[in-house]
Amino acid sequence: MPNHYEVWGVTMLKKNINKASLLTFADKNRIYILFNFVFLFMTLLAPRFFNVFNLTTIMRTLAMNATVAIGFTIILIIGQIDFTIGTVVTLSGIIGLGLKEYIGFGGSVPVAILAGGLIGLINGLLVAKAKIVSFIVTLGMMTILQGAIYTFTGGNTISLSSDDAFAVSDWLSNMIFPLVTPRVLITLVLVTAATIFMKKTRTGRNFYMLGGNKHTAWLAGINTDKYTIAAFILSGVMAAIGGVFFAMESAAATLNMGTSSLMYVISATIIGGTAMSGGKGGVFKTFVAIMMLDVLYNGIILFGLGNEVKIFIAGFILASVVLYEAYAIYKHEKIVGQRPELLKELEKVQ
Amino acid sequence: MENNKLSETTKEEIKQIDSRATSVNLFGRVMHYAGIYAVALMFLLAGIVLQSLGIINNFLTTQNMVNILDAVSMLGIVAVGMAFVTYSGQFADLSVPTTMALTGIVAVQMLQYGFLPAIIAAVLAGLLIGLINAVAIGKYKANPIIWTLAVNYVTLGVIRLVWVNKQIYPDMIAKTQRASDLFDAIYRLRFFNKIALPLILLIILVVFLNFIMKKTKYGMQLKITGSAQKAAKFTGINTEKIIGITFIICALTATLAGLTITSLSRVGAWYNGTGYDFKAVTAIVIGGMTLAGGRGSIIGVLGGVLIIGLMNNIMTLLGVGTFSQDMIRGFIFILVVGINAKSLRSMGRDDA
Amino acid sequence: MSEKEKMKTTFSVTALEMKSVSKQFVGTLAVDRVDFDVRAGEVHALIGENGAGKSTLMKIIAGSFNDYTGDIHMGSSKVDLHTPAQSKKNGIEMIYQELSLALPLSIAENVLVGRLPKKGMFLDKEEIVTETRRCLGMVGLEHLNPMMQIEDISQHEGQLVEIAKALGNNPGILVMDEPTSALSREEVERLFTIIHNLKKNGLAIVYISHHLPEIFEVADRVTVLRDGKKIGTKDIGGVSSSELVQMMVGKSVTEFYSHTSHTQEKKRLRVEGLSRYGFFHDISFSSFEGEILGICGLSGAGRSELARVLVGLDDKDSGKVYLDEQEITLKNMGQAVANGIVYLTENRKTEGLALRLDIKENILAGLIPELTRKGIYQEGDGIQKVNNLIEELSIYPPDSSRIVGNLSGGNQQKVLLAKWMACEPKVMILDDPTRGVDIGAKMTIHQSIERLAEEGNTVILISSDLPELVSLSSRVLIMRKGRIIKEMPKVDCTEESVLLAANGEGA
Repeated sequence: MPNHYEVWGVTMLKKNINKASLLTFADKNRIYILFNFVFLFMTLLAPRFFNVFNLTTIMRTLAMNATVAIGFTIILIIGQIDFTIGTVVTLSGIIGLGLKEYIGFGGSVPVAILAGGLIGLINGLLVAKAKIVSFIVTLGMMTILQGAIYTFTGGNTISLSSDDAFAVSDWLSNMIFPLVTPRVLITLVLVTAATIFMKKTRTGRNFYMLGGNKHTAWLAGINTDKYTIAAFILSGVMAAIGGVFFAMESAAATLNMGTSSLMYVISATIIGGTAMSGGKGGVFKTFVAIMMLDVLYNGIILFGLGNEVKIFIAGFILASVVLYEAYAIYKHEKIVGQRPELLKELEKVQ
Repeated sequence: MENNKLSETTKEEIKQIDSRATSVNLFGRVMHYAGIYAVALMFLLAGIVLQSLGIINNFLTTQNMVNILDAVSMLGIVAVGMAFVTYSGQFADLSVPTTMALTGIVAVQMLQYGFLPAIIAAVLAGLLIGLINAVAIGKYKANPIIWTLAVNYVTLGVIRLVWVNKQIYPDMIAKTQRASDLFDAIYRLRFFNKIALPLILLIILVVFLNFIMKKTKYGMQLKITGSAQKAAKFTGINTEKIIGITFIICALTATLAGLTITSLSRVGAWYNGTGYDFKAVTAIVIGGMTLAGGRGSIIGVLGGVLIIGLMNNIMTLLGVGTFSQDMIRGFIFILVVGINAKSLRSMGRDDA
Repeated sequence: MSEKEKMKTTFSVTALEMKSVSKQFVGTLAVDRVDFDVRAGEVHALIGENGAGKSTLMKIIAGSFNDYTGDIHMGSSKVDLHTPAQSKKNGIEMIYQELSLALPLSIAENVLVGRLPKKGMFLDKEEIVTETRRCLGMVGLEHLNPMMQIEDISQHEGQLVEIAKALGNNPGILVMDEPTSALSREEVERLFTIIHNLKKNGLAIVYISHHLPEIFEVADRVTVLRDGKKIGTKDIGGVSSSELVQMMVGKSVTEFYSHTSHTQEKKRLRVEGLSRYGFFHDISFSSFEGEILGICGLSGAGRSELARVLVGLDDKDSGKVYLDEQEITLKNMGQAVANGIVYLTENRKTEGLALRLDIKENILAGLIPELTRKGIYQEGDGIQKVNNLIEELSIYPPDSSRIVGNLSGGNQQKVLLAKWMACEPKVMILDDPTRGVDIGAKMTIHQSIERLAEEGNTVILISSDLPELVSLSSRVLIMRKGRIIKEMPKVDCTEESVLLAANGEGA
């Protein structure tokens, strides 16, 4: 009987612990331990790290990617991949700002989010109905969207300079309570809602079942096509929400604002413990991983180190996590099926 | 014993199974038998028709054909190497862009000791990345997409840490004019005044790698590994080694492409090679290799590369903008794969 | 309402009736105008060789196809079973031969898939645990923690979880496809008790099996399929085993050959104190030229693990292995194959065959190094061998360019055996070589095993099919909990004695 149990994706220890169960505990809560370590490290050592202003900056920086990562995590949970998230971020920013002068934010923001949903819908249909691998579909779609973005903007950044646009921008970056701006609040609400949805509702669990074993899900009467399409739509919508509010706060949409998002979100999701193979992980873990990465980046800059150190360390952490997980499975496969009573005999002899 | 012999009814059934192939759509059948070259021919014909209608000019000229081949030779070099990774069932090697950048920048840096040391150093750098991928994916079975993405990131970090965001120029680093000229010639050397060195390299690679894949022990074992990795292992095939080698092949061809692109741009920088990962995947998949592994050929991949070259050329002649070309390429990519997958399914050869 | 109650109380009421049902696959008619019915409170067995259409027929009932033709009636009304959801709604549950569980998820989520209890909008965790416990209790797994991951339980526990999952839905009709293939004898007994109780409660059960003795143990009626057509339905009391076999294969056959001739002269493979810690300890035995050595044990006794070490798939921790009295150490399976030791795996689909490649490529897979001359692979040199093997094993269709995945299970198994026969091994370790294979293919495989032994090769036969083991082997080693506990010579071997020994009784 395992010596741990799960509450909201956090593995808890029971009273009777031993070394092995402590290790499993540490492994399953890897991301929380990692985050605490990084946060503590920066608090103690990084200059000007632990103050309201800096922590708010961190929250504002992570807001966009944390929103994008919600959808991407669900995509990985169902065992697919979505390379379009970065381009959807850019596209939604461009639509959100570009259409503003015609229909106002009240019209352009919903249109931007709908556009994200539409792209997700097309991806989902191609994966679920035309049965093309998501790697291919989203790769092709990414190329198409990149072309579309450049064609329609003529390669120029879209920036707004009207007073009302600045007013919205100011409002979005204004602190409403410590660490929280309206845009951060949107992110926090979405992360919380998605976490509860994925952990606590039957529909949410069905996504896990789909990723854990598609055939089982289908046999159990779960409409696998519908869930696959839904996941891609969610991914598109979340990327669009992340992108459009970020663009509104900056009052500008650059053509590469989403470029770094793809790599960043993939890294965070994997580091957070959501597996490419599907059925594992969770939205909240990804969120903590995003916080961890952003605290780390922030600290690196505070230490006076450059962007290149940031890239190197991020890549290094991702590589370590992937290798660690692969190695753990490699080791596990060697001992799976061992008979405990035979091992005990061995101990007696020695 | 008699009951094991075939009865008349079973012969009838064999015929029925044979009739499967007829239910495949025309495009699927053309793809299956004539291969991707039929599609390449279609593009060529389309170009000729457009020219005869006077819509585009200078399509069917020797110079333009050479231009087409020149334009895709670097992509071809990357794609035929990465095709081994795809063939082995490991999807793609996304560490190619920074492998190209790193080997290029290492070569430029080492140019101060002469041309040959520069090439050797570049090959060693490429080999190192290939080995790292080989161990992590071959032996420890790390997820290839995520792992190579991570390696790409780490390598990028290394380049930017070591060269602190600097770009370095071969003509400034090289101590002798000769070394600088030789490096410059990698891209620019032309045989018979026409055929460029990268194209020659590509042709040599295609012949050599096609031989490896189709005619050697390694190639046959790779086919079984790519089709069914576990079954290959239980047949006594050293799948760890087989898969590992594909990443080394890929890293080495990426090194060649890295040297070429650096010679072309005359600058060693972290962004050399950007985009070559996905471009190569596009060529490989259009060339008829399925991501499920064990299916397709190097010749087919070359066809995929040629199609991309023809497509780009015709679109440029038509005056289609660079970015609209992206859109069309993406669209055709999904379409070709979709049709190919569908025809495989209807032939009872579904693998996804 | 009253209709439904009637169905539950009156036993002879027909629960499901199929009229002239057909299902066409690309190029083949898998099920050809079959009539089939099952009554409440009975076990209706469905038998036939592989490819006879049993599994397809059952998948129609389970709602796997939306393009079958013919009518299906339940009670007095006609029903459409076009999706698994529709079948479930009509109270049909299916237990599949291959595990269909989601490995990264918990037992509870697997058992309650699609019907996780809710309290308001959210899941009701307590109810989930109680309900899962209730379901697990029905198959004697109440000791398992419902929150454990499927990855962490054993394969036969997984099979029982699968059954618990189906039973938990309170089905009216239960379809079982070879439910005992991964179970030990004790678990099979428990399953039969469960089936007996379900029958009493008025459940209609369709039971698919290859194992005729099992049919006589549990079934009330039996329907035989052949080549997609129904051959007949009989009451179990009015039919004999040989009649059923005759209906299945179309003519009468004698099932087993008795292998006796071998000389205990030259030791071929000798194993001394071999251990892989935690899996098996201190294994010693010798096998001779021309011998078929049987190894028997319950699932989890360490049989397959032993075989894996003997061919270098896993590393040994201690002990020595001698081939022709020369000590050998194997670093990988390639070396074992080069030395003439091969291993036919029990999982033909995942570990045995490259299903997407053709017959020729599969058969020659182990011969690639030998067919390579001066660096060039000469496939042509192996073609004759492939054709001979296709002929000897009567692989059907007899065309070396067929994709193996499109063959029937029996023919796939023959291809797997052919792969290793092509290597002309000195020692052939066979792990359940006739698992899930029809009688015709089984006979052919047995003949080939005999021929191998007669030619002086050593065959180590690991099998859970006791009649097969007893009739083919010249000696049987009994493994239990990772050790060899007994060696039985041919004269002492009967199905009963071997089974008792494997269970740790008798002796």
